Amino acid sequence: MGHLTALALQLQAAQPVSPAALAPSVWEHMSAALRDSVYRVLSLLISLLPGVLALVLAIGVLTAIGGLVSYLVRRILTSLQFDERIARSRPTEISSSIQDWVPSHSPTVLVARTVFWLHVLLGFVIGISAFDASYSTASQMSVFLLPYLAHSVGAIILLLVGNIIARFLSRSVLIGAVNAKLTYARFLSLGVKWLVLVLTAAMVLDHLGVGGAIVELAFGILFGGIVLTLALAVGLGSREIVSRSLERTADRMPPRGPFATPEQPVKPEPVAKPTGTLRHF
Amino acid sequence: MASIPSQPASAARTGSGSPAASLLVSLAPLPHDAFESTLSNLSQAFAGATVLVATPDQPVGAADAFDQTMDGSTEDSAGYYFDQDWASRYNNLQLLTELPAVPPPSAWVLTAADFLNAYKLAQQHGASACMLLGGESQSLTPEALRSLAAAVGGTGEGVIGEGGAPNGKGVDLAVPRYEFGPRDGLVNSAILYPVTRAVYGARPRFPLAVDLGLSLRMAERLAIAAQRFTASGQNDAILWPVAEAAVAGYTIAEVNVGRRAIPQPATPDLNSLLARITSSLFSDVEARAAFWQRSRIAQSNARPTQPAGGSDGFADLDIQPMLDSFRLAYTNLQEIWSLVLPPNSLLGLKRLATSPAETFRMPDALWVRIVCDFLLAFRLRTINRGHLLGALTPLYLAWVASHILYARSGVDPEYHVEELAQAFEFDKPYLVSRWRWPDRFNP
Repeated sequence: MGHLTALALQLQAAQPVSPAALAPSVWEHMSAALRDSVYRVLSLLISLLPGVLALVLAIGVLTAIGGLVSYLVRRILTSLQFDERIARSRPTEISSSIQDWVPSHSPTVLVARTVFWLHVLLGFVIGISAFDASYSTASQMSVFLLPYLAHSVGAIILLLVGNIIARFLSRSVLIGAVNAKLTYARFLSLGVKWLVLVLTAAMVLDHLGVGGAIVELAFGILFGGIVLTLALAVGLGSREIVSRSLERTADRMPPRGPFATPEQPVKPEPVAKPTGTLRHF
Repeated sequence: MASIPSQPASAARTGSGSPAASLLVSLAPLPHDAFESTLSNLSQAFAGATVLVATPDQPVGAADAFDQTMDGSTEDSAGYYFDQDWASRYNNLQLLTELPAVPPPSAWVLTAADFLNAYKLAQQHGASACMLLGGESQSLTPEALRSLAAAVGGTGEGVIGEGGAPNGKGVDLAVPRYEFGPRDGLVNSAILYPVTRAVYGARPRFPLAVDLGLSLRMAERLAIAAQRFTASGQNDAILWPVAEAAVAGYTIAEVNVGRRAIPQPATPDLNSLLARITSSLFSDVEARAAFWQRSRIAQSNARPTQPAGGSDGFADLDIQPMLDSFRLAYTNLQEIWSLVLPPNSLLGLKRLATSPAETFRMPDALWVRIVCDFLLAFRLRTINRGHLLGALTPLYLAWVASHILYARSGVDPEYHVEELAQAFEFDKPYLVSRWRWPDRFNP
C-alpha cells in the first residue's frame, strides 16, 4: 500500500502544471462581469428609490389633501348657495357656455373638482422636484432624462387639451358646414382638425425640446401647406359665388368721376314671393 | 319709474283715480297703424267694460301730453292727461304707458320680461286677470280677444273653449288655438306640440302661443319663474306656460281664435332658432322630470277638430333641398348621430337616406325615437349641446319633407300631426325608462 502511494506521488510530480488550469475560467469572468452589472443596476435603482418614494408620497399626500380641501370647499359653497348666486349674477351670453362645461349644472361641483385636480397636479410637480433633487448625480443620463420627465407633464396636458379642442372645432365646423349645405363639409372639418393637431404636436415637441428648429420649420411648411390647400379648395370651389357677389356690388355702386350721371335711386331687389316657402315658427 | 297713465275723461274712477278694471291687456311693441287697429279691436271686444291696456307704444299726442304734464301746465290731481279724441274713440280703454320694470327684448315670442312686467302691472292696478298679446296682435278679431279674456274670467263672462272651468269662474291659463295653414308652425307640429302633450299630458296645440290669457295666480307663478331668468339678465328667456300650469295643477283651456298673423323672428336662421327653441324646451323638460315621470297620460283617439288645412297647400313646395340636406348630413354626421341614436334608429335613417324622393317617408315611430334620444343626450350631455342641437336640424328637415309628402299623398296634415302626437304618447314609457336607466342596453 505504501509503495503504491509513493508511486502516485512520483507521477504527479513528473506531470507539468498547465497555466489555463491555474487561471480563472471564461465563465467565471462573465459571471463576475454580470455580477458587477447587476450590482450597478441595483445600486442605481436603490439610489432612485428615495426619489420614487418621494414622488409617490407627494402625489398620495397631496391627493388626500386635495380630497379634503375639495370636500370642504363643496360644503362651504353649498352652504353659501354658490350655485344660486352664480345663476343670478352671470351674464346671459356666457351662461350657456359655462353650462356646457359644468358637471350636472353645478358650478360648486366644478370648483370642487378643479381644487382637487389642482392638488393632484401640485403633488405631481412636487414629486418630480423631489425626484430630481434625490437623483442629482453627476451622470449624463440625469442631465438628459430629467428635463423630459419634468416637461412631460406639461406636454401631456398640451396634448390632451389640443385633442379636445381639435375634436370640438372639427365637430363645430362639420355641423355648421352640413347645415350650410356645403358638400365639402367633411373635408373642411378634417382640415380644421389636422390644423389643430399639427399645431398641438408642434407645441408638444417644442415643449419637450425635441427637434429644435427642425420642428419649427416642418410645422411652418406643413401648416402653411394645409392652409394653402384649404384656401385653394375653397377659393376654386366658390369662384363663381365670389364673382357673382362682386358683380352685384359693382352694379350697385354709382359711377364716379367727371362723367358721372346724377345718382339714381337704387332699385330694390324683388322680394321673393311668399309662395313655395315654409314657416317653421 | 316714469308713469303716464292716460285715461278717457268719461271713464269712471275709483278713489285712487283709477277706474275699476278686472282685465289687464299687455301689448307687444307695434307699428302705429297696427297699434291703432289693436286698440280699436280691444275697445270693440270689451265694449261696456273698462280694460287696462299696458303698452310700450304711445298713442298720437301722448308724448306731447307727457311733456306738458312734466312742465306742470296741464297736470290734474291724479297725474292723468285727458285727450278728447281718445276719450271719444276708446272710452273703455285705460292706457298704461309705464316704463316696464324689466326692459322687454323685442322678441317674436313672449319672454320672461313680458310675463314679469304683466304681473307687476296687474298687481299694481288690481286686475284679476291678464291677457298677453304678442306681435301682430292687430290680426286678432274682437271675438277672439273676447273669447280669450272670457276663458280666464277677465270680463266676467262664462268660459268658452275646451277645458275651461264651469260657472264662469275662469281657468288659469287660456291658450289660443290658431287656424294655421299647413305650411306654418312646423317646428310646433314636429316637436313642441307632441313633446308637450306626451310629457305633460297637456293638449294645447300651440304650447308656445304668442297670446295668452292668465289668471292672477297663474301670472304670479309665471312671474316667479321669469324672475329667475331676469335676475341674471336673461330677459329674453322663453317660458313654457303650459308646462308650468300642468306642474302646478292649474286648469288649462284652449280657445279657438281663428286666423292670426304670426310674428316671425328677425333673423330667419333655422339652425340657430331651432337650437334655441329646442334647447329651452329640453331644459324645461329636464327641470320638471320629477313631475312628468310620475304623471299618467290619458290616451286619446280624438281626431283633429279644427278644419283641416288641406294638403293642396304643399303643392308648389320643392322638397328636394330638404332631402339633399338630409342626405348630405347622413353621409357626414353619422359619427355624431351614432353617439346619440341607437342602432335601430340609425338603420331607419339609412333606409330613409337610400329611399327615392317619391317614397321618402319618415315613420312616426322613428321621429319619436329621434326626438326622445336627442332629449336624453341633451340631459346626459353625451356631446356638446350646441353640437347636439345642430345635428338635429337635418333630421327635422327630413321630417318636414316627409310631412309634405304625406300631405301630397292625400293625408290631412293636421291628421298626421295628431297621429304623431299619439305616437309620442305611446312611446313615453321608452323616454321614462331611458331617462331613469340610460346605460341599459338599447338595440
